[in-house]
Amino acid sequence: MLARLRLMRPDSAEPQDDRQLVEASRAGDSAAFEELVRRKTGKVFGLCVRILSNREDAKDVAQLVFVKLWENLGKYDASYAFDTWLYRMTSNVAIDFIRSRQSREATQNSNLRLVKTSDEPEQGREFQHREVEEVFEQVSKALSPKQKTIFVMHAMEDLQLAEIARVLGTKESTVRNHLFNARKTMQKELRRRYPEYASLWKENQA
Amino acid sequence: MRCDEFRAACRQPDELGSEALAHMRACAACLNHAISVDPELMFRGLGGDIEPDGGVDAFVEGVMHEIRFRKAERIVDARHRFAPAQRWAIAAAAAVAVVSGAMFWPRSNRGIVPVNPVAIVASAPASLVVPVSSRPVVESYGSSSATIVEVPSEETSDLKVVMIFDESLPADL
Repeated sequence: MLARLRLMRPDSAEPQDDRQLVEASRAGDSAAFEELVRRKTGKVFGLCVRILSNREDAKDVAQLVFVKLWENLGKYDASYAFDTWLYRMTSNVAIDFIRSRQSREATQNSNLRLVKTSDEPEQGREFQHREVEEVFEQVSKALSPKQKTIFVMHAMEDLQLAEIARVLGTKESTVRNHLFNARKTMQKELRRRYPEYASLWKENQA
Repeated sequence: MRCDEFRAACRQPDELGSEALAHMRACAACLNHAISVDPELMFRGLGGDIEPDGGVDAFVEGVMHEIRFRKAERIVDARHRFAPAQRWAIAAAAAVAVVSGAMFWPRSNRGIVPVNPVAIVASAPASLVVPVSSRPVVESYGSSSATIVEVPSEETSDLKVVMIFDESLPADL
């Protein structure tokens, strides 16, 4: 009998999908919610880091996202993908945070540029991941919070325009416009702040 | 995906799939190549999950701690919170206490100095004074041009409200 029961157990030991974890969390299973947080931490924290360009702020915002998630689990409509709902919550909290931070940092000089410490020649050297992060951090300062969020979701989170529209609760054409303007602004900033990349760009465009 | 396959896919950078992007994010040489094809691709290389400083476990523990704290806070709040009916009762009792206090506070204690003391003395013709009730008169007012109206109130109430219209009084009284 025990053997038979054991044979039936593997199904329940299989990893639950997001919706199952949400349902269990709603029912008060805190272990299920903990698993949900563990599963989504990398995604939420990653999105926050890219939108906020600051790991400390991103950690606070990501934590706030999960607390809000817990508080609003009852409002989740299971007919939508859980990630879409989570992205929406994350982007809303992050955008609100940027707006409040912008008002605090209104006087801060935004014209700082990356200081190059490497002696390597500009042409032909390897682009390091950290360097790209810093370039993005500087260049994306020219974007509005919404433009930045859309650019991050599209370019870095690989979301399609229709999905971003669903996440932000807006039209696909609006997302397309924001993305177009974001790209234009970033190209302009890239040329202004990082002429070495701009020369690459010109060669490429030609 | 292999590096040569990625480089072939890079000829159409707008159509790079998730597999190609994942390869670019993991391979520094291909990221370098991609940037030379389209500088914007370097930003696409930033995608992927990021682990918080201190690790996922510490982060999750922080979140769960915050949630436990908020849960406890709610329970304490709920115990100390008055029900809506109780809150209304308290507010109503406070309002009645303030109004009653204001009504019965002796005029002499209020620090109000009458502008024209003569006009307020009960020396006017008795026919013009309308007794407001049969109960003891607390205040009296007499003026040849005054109209005094008593606001109806419940028989059991000790409060009597009267309105005095007197055009002879100064406007800033």
